[in-house]
Amino acid sequence: MTATIGRRSTLALGGAAALAGAATAKAETPNEVEIAMLVPLSGPWAEQGILERLGAEMAVDDVNKAGGIKSLGGAKLKLLVFDAGTSAETAKDAAQRMVAQHPKLVGGMGCWLSTFTLAATEVTERADLPWLTLSYSDAITDRGFKYVFQTSPTANTQAEQIVPFLMKLAQDATHKRPTKVAIVGDNTAASVSFLKPIKSHILKQEKLTAVVDEIYTPPLSNAGPLVQPVRAARPDLVLLLSTSSGDDKMLADTFSEYGMPGSKLPLIGNGGHWAVPELLKNAGANILQDIMIGLANWPGKDLNALSARYIKRTGNPWFGHNEIFAYSHVQILAWALNKAGVANRKKVADEIRSMNVTDGPAVYFPGRHLQFDSKGRRVGAELVIVQWQNGRPVTVFPENMAVSKAIWPT
Amino acid sequence: MRVGGAARLRRDSVALAVVAGTYLVLALSVHNAYYQLMLTLVPIWAVMGLGWNLISGMSGLVSFGHAAFFGIGAYVVTLALVYWHLTPWLGIPFGMVVGGLAAVLIGLPTFRLRGHYFALSMLAYPLAVLYVLEYLGFQEVPLPMHRAHPALFLQFNDPFYATLVALGLFVAAMLAGLLVENTRFGLALLAIKQNELAAEAAGLNTWQWKMRGLVASGAIAAAAGGLYACVLLVVTPDSVFGMLVSAQALVVTLFGGVGTVWGPAIGAAVLIPLAETLNARLGNILPGIQGVVYGVAIIVIMLAAPEGLFWEIRDRLFRRPQAAPVIHEARTAITVERSSGTLLEVTGLSKTFGGLRAVQEVAFAVAAGEILGIIGPNGAGKTTLFNLLNGVLPADAGGARLAGQELRGRKVHQVARLGVGRTFQVVRSFPRLPLLDNVIVGAYGAGLDDHEAAAAAATALDAVGLADRAARPASELTNKELRLMELARALAGRPRILLLDETLAGLGREECDDVLAVLRQLREAGMTIVIIEHTMHAMLRLADRFLVLDHGRVLAEGSPHDVVEDPAVIEAYLGSKFLARQNA
Repeated sequence: MTATIGRRSTLALGGAAALAGAATAKAETPNEVEIAMLVPLSGPWAEQGILERLGAEMAVDDVNKAGGIKSLGGAKLKLLVFDAGTSAETAKDAAQRMVAQHPKLVGGMGCWLSTFTLAATEVTERADLPWLTLSYSDAITDRGFKYVFQTSPTANTQAEQIVPFLMKLAQDATHKRPTKVAIVGDNTAASVSFLKPIKSHILKQEKLTAVVDEIYTPPLSNAGPLVQPVRAARPDLVLLLSTSSGDDKMLADTFSEYGMPGSKLPLIGNGGHWAVPELLKNAGANILQDIMIGLANWPGKDLNALSARYIKRTGNPWFGHNEIFAYSHVQILAWALNKAGVANRKKVADEIRSMNVTDGPAVYFPGRHLQFDSKGRRVGAELVIVQWQNGRPVTVFPENMAVSKAIWPT
Repeated sequence: MRVGGAARLRRDSVALAVVAGTYLVLALSVHNAYYQLMLTLVPIWAVMGLGWNLISGMSGLVSFGHAAFFGIGAYVVTLALVYWHLTPWLGIPFGMVVGGLAAVLIGLPTFRLRGHYFALSMLAYPLAVLYVLEYLGFQEVPLPMHRAHPALFLQFNDPFYATLVALGLFVAAMLAGLLVENTRFGLALLAIKQNELAAEAAGLNTWQWKMRGLVASGAIAAAAGGLYACVLLVVTPDSVFGMLVSAQALVVTLFGGVGTVWGPAIGAAVLIPLAETLNARLGNILPGIQGVVYGVAIIVIMLAAPEGLFWEIRDRLFRRPQAAPVIHEARTAITVERSSGTLLEVTGLSKTFGGLRAVQEVAFAVAAGEILGIIGPNGAGKTTLFNLLNGVLPADAGGARLAGQELRGRKVHQVARLGVGRTFQVVRSFPRLPLLDNVIVGAYGAGLDDHEAAAAAATALDAVGLADRAARPASELTNKELRLMELARALAGRPRILLLDETLAGLGREECDDVLAVLRQLREAGMTIVIIEHTMHAMLRLADRFLVLDHGRVLAEGSPHDVVEDPAVIEAYLGSKFLARQNA
């Protein structure tokens, strides 16, 4: 008896679904699925957010042009953009507004600066909204959250990876292991957490001595007092842990003035701000030549076509760190929506949590593998290193992505 | 409670209850988490404004660095939760204690400064703490999520309760503010704001009152910061110690109204939602424009209502003549402890300013019940002598004893407490305070309790004949009334001796006679008076004895008629030619 009723109702449901599907098809205007982007669009970090938005918009257009979300009857993605503003408070307010006023959201991404991401994800987590972020801070995925996915290697991971790579690169080029490193960094959260593992054990592991360890409070007004000790100490390489393009320029300029440009002494920066068009415009190609930058992601040679399309579309000189992250985040959400077959944020989060792919959105990451661990960190996330060569940042590591060969200045 | 304070407190408490009740109904009717967040942030920023107002609004010591206290509250709550798992319910009170202690450490060196210097040095404290925290590695500290017991850790699932806690904190801060406003604490701060030297000369220990104000203010700001951390769930040095936090406290208070507890509440209730609405409406269309519109809105309103919305609204809608406060305490006549012999004895008192010897080895004695007139040409050192006597200036040598107690080396308010009343050459009033409050400051300065102070003020006002003017603000009084007000303020402290500095200056003949009548009555009551005066005809009618100063030295001393005929005095006043012609 119960079985009969069960079968009958199943049939009825199926029929209803088929009817609904037919109705959608007939209307020829597939419904929309809303996804959110919360990034700083005003204030000191606006430039970073604008680049992210450009990447996300291109991804949304690409998905929609390719037929939208197929399992949802070709539903189109709709990107809702919110300004995270200038402080943790404005970021949290915007996140709360986003969540409260757009109940149909199925996922989102942001907020570039880890402080903003920390504040905003307190809101998205409570709303069960899957959230993708490129922010580096380890704290973001150390809180036991279930709906936050960090696609970048965390600051600690990057620190663990960059020094061994540099050692290998130096040894290949000079047949000699570097022994002396100079560290110049600011005191912001990103730099401090990056330097922590380096100072605590990585230097020892690699038998390196920090001959200079200069910490400053940004913004820099004069880099001379920081660079002078480096010239006296004659290190084999210099780690520059600045966090804004303005300071990057001043450091690069001053090293050049003191006779130690990137083409003579290995200068290594970290973070997307070292590879933005603005820096090239302000510092010039000569000053930047051969400076290496550790990054969470950068398009490799297999994405040349995508880069070219972006350059044509926006007029920007290259497809960089922020843009590729935003692009990949949209692709991840589209993939998960397609897999879930329903515009439901919890289902989308389930799909992201259980994803384990080497194609689809995985192609936008170094290692071409996409899987998240229980903390929400990307499994096997590795660093990309780009080098300024002739006025362009080009990928030099990992080798399978390298567009050009790394130059170790001697 | 101040005179009329109990009635004001009752009235304002009712208003507060109505406001809080309305807010509660509003919070109950809102279910959108975003609007609930706004409803939580408004009281938090209002509390921050209340903290700032308590010291800067009331005492006029403008602080550009209240973020120091706000940030301390936020970091104490956060770090206690992270490292000791201490619930913010206890973390916030703990933060208030730390905030209060920080206020003591900040106040100790900073109260040496005044005006702009005070304001600017306050700016340094949050920046200093900010760098220390960055150095210690607390750049970004998230508050750990407690899913098992959200209410125990102030992490409610229903944001309504967060609003409720913020509202509770706001009501507590308002009550604290109202209590301060309506007791001698508030009056002392207001007196300091309007004329610190006068407050000090009236016997108030201004340093102590300022310190109490800063501690209370720091604790309130720390409470706001602690709750803010619980709402934001992540603290960074910039977000709680940054310039914008200090500015926010100033902006909500200046906008709403300085020097009243209602100001910060009005400011926060208007500005926080306004800024957020602009973010929501304009931020996504043209990012950054919200800041411009917000700035313009503030400028426009500040131009239209420079003292803040509260005062503007009150002046326009509720302006009514203030009834004189009723003083129930019995009035008594001025009585002075009668004694005989020397009351004040000055010996070898000297003061130099660089090369100028302003007062040189001045010695004289004042008998109890006597009126001593001090005369001398301009620049003779008369006012400097008074300043040395009551501690405004430190003497280089010599001493002064009042009934055997040394005055030299004591602070102004200590001298006042020993029984030295003082008026100033240029009247030092508290212009925005009613006459009664101007006078009662003197009674508080003498350490009288509320009832005694009210009685003493009423007695003093009766004695100078200003009882019917008690409710008038000092700014509306005539010159004669101001002179009498200062006299009454000195009398309210029940002094043993009065130092009157040119009390008759600028008065017409009839006004002069009125004041002289008051002074004569005081002498009949047994008051000892030392008076500096230029008006010779008045002095001749008033003083028992003259002391003549010239170039900082005592030139002559004796009965008025002997002194005015002394050739040396005539020469000092009118020159040697006049003397020669007279003798010829």
